[in-house]
Amino acid sequence: MTPLLAGLLLLVAATGAGVVLTRQPRRQVMAMAANGLALTVLFTALQAPDVAFSQLVVGTAAVPLLFLAVLASIRLHRPEEKE
Amino acid sequence: MSPRARGILATLAALALAPGALAVLRAMPAFGDHPLPYGDAVNRIAPAERIVSNMVTAVNFDLRGFDTLGEEVMLLAAVVGTVVVLRGSRGEGVGDRPATCGDRPIPPRSEAVVLLCRIIAPLTLLYGLYVVLHAQLTPGGGFQGGAIIGSGLLLVWVGEGYNAWRRLVPGVVLHALEGGGAGLYALMGFGAMLTGAAFLTNVLPLGEWGSILSGGVIPVVNFGVGLAVSGAFGMLFLEFLEETREPKDGEEP
Repeated sequence: MTPLLAGLLLLVAATGAGVVLTRQPRRQVMAMAANGLALTVLFTALQAPDVAFSQLVVGTAAVPLLFLAVLASIRLHRPEEKE
Repeated sequence: MSPRARGILATLAALALAPGALAVLRAMPAFGDHPLPYGDAVNRIAPAERIVSNMVTAVNFDLRGFDTLGEEVMLLAAVVGTVVVLRGSRGEGVGDRPATCGDRPIPPRSEAVVLLCRIIAPLTLLYGLYVVLHAQLTPGGGFQGGAIIGSGLLLVWVGEGYNAWRRLVPGVVLHALEGGGAGLYALMGFGAMLTGAAFLTNVLPLGEWGSILSGGVIPVVNFGVGLAVSGAFGMLFLEFLEETREPKDGEEP
């Protein structure tokens, strides 16, 4: 295993731990996007560009956006449920 | 359960599972090793018999093309389910009109964001189309290209605002992309059966090595997947973003 791969694996582990240790949902979404980006770089370094493409879009754009939309929706609809 | 008890339980569980995990780790092949013959067989067969240079596409759309139809239908079902649940809870009377933000103030976008999105969004959409069309030649394929097109649609939303986005990307177009793409894949697969051949038999001429039209049926079904995935991503984004807004007064049945 080259130093590059070892460093990237550590980066993925660090950003993954960041997702778990973040407690505030909106920050957690951003931490998850950072983890997705680290995975994208890892897949590229492992010469799997097809997977890297999917991971880049799904992990750093689509899933975080859906989570943010859900969080916004929860905040929007919470007062109505309290009534 | 107190945090202390949970910690003790977790430690005990880890200790109990450690021997098994160690045994699996020791039996694993070395990093980067590929002992199975499948990959080599694909590398040998696909360029010779299908004239394609991207083996991932050869596997997805030829060697296991029937599985890909299943995945395609899975995506279709997932997106349709999302749309039915979300739109169903909003009511049928809303139609294709974008909902409003109600009394919430909309923070203005900075000119830098608008400029950046106007430059990047067309490039991203074009690049997505390139990835879809060159699936059998270079890394990427229908799913990846469709996903890139989907994220390009998001950049249009960020740059132009929600209402302009809904005008530029009408829901019906996304529905047509999703359904038409999945339909194209199924049609190519079952159409081959009308000639008496097996499902997804490559009935078209294979073309020249390195040409955008090489691979026979592969670019066609791949284009179908590209259409369907870009439509699916667009529909998901549209329905989720619509959830963050409120319908106009009197529109809810």
